[in-house]
Amino acid sequence: VSRRKILPTRAALTLTPSAVNKVKQLLQNKPEYIGLKVGVRTRGCNGLTYTLDYTKEKDKSDEEVLQDGVRVFIEKKAQLTLLGTEMDFVETKLSSEFVFNNPNIKGTCGCGESFNI
Amino acid sequence: MRYCVQWHCLLLSRVQRAPLTSTKEEPQHPSSSSPAESIHLSQSCVKRLAEIMGKGEYLRIAVEGGGCSGFQYKFSVDTVKNEDDRVFEKNGVGIIVDQDSLEFVKGSTIDFSQELIRSSFQVLKNPQAQHGCSCGSSFSVQI
Repeated sequence: VSRRKILPTRAALTLTPSAVNKVKQLLQNKPEYIGLKVGVRTRGCNGLTYTLDYTKEKDKSDEEVLQDGVRVFIEKKAQLTLLGTEMDFVETKLSSEFVFNNPNIKGTCGCGESFNI
Repeated sequence: MRYCVQWHCLLLSRVQRAPLTSTKEEPQHPSSSSPAESIHLSQSCVKRLAEIMGKGEYLRIAVEGGGCSGFQYKFSVDTVKNEDDRVFEKNGVGIIVDQDSLEFVKGSTIDFSQELIRSSFQVLKNPQAQHGCSCGSSFSVQI
């Protein structure tokens, strides 16, 4: 009798409380959108950069992350890149931005917008 | 850290030496500055500054060595005006730029850009900058 192997599953993306709050706030008055979509694009001095958009529907190949009542979708192209990433929202007096703490990256640009894996 | 300090000193010494010839004939009073010497504030920048800045607070813009293209912009909130600072005011809000940094950013437009992923102050249309990083925080100068 073989025992069933239990494999750990990890969310592809985790959100910090401040990111959850901000996403909630962004979607509050926009019932037509079901969540945000995270992607990557070739841009910047270090190869890749993150993109963030509202989304109205879930594409077939999107990975859905549901955490604390907010839904974030990951584009197919970005799924491997983002695996295990923590999405944070940092707000200071002069700027506010979503920051991705990605364990897969090898290097970033000075400002942290661009990265390579 | 030491490397960083040295870089900065090098940068400063270069900056101080460079403008000697050009600044001789131009008076350095803020009131008599030509348009090319000044810094423009966009509507969104003025609006945002009015929202976040208290009385006596200014947005300080400085240029430092760093970033992927050689130089980078640094934004901070400051209440102190130093001797070599220039102040640019519009609709009750103001920004401070020190004389050394001004050489690198004169003629630029300061904008507050708001996007979903990030909202921050940016230096746009800098005549001195040759090409920059995608995020706009770093740039290289024309020599």
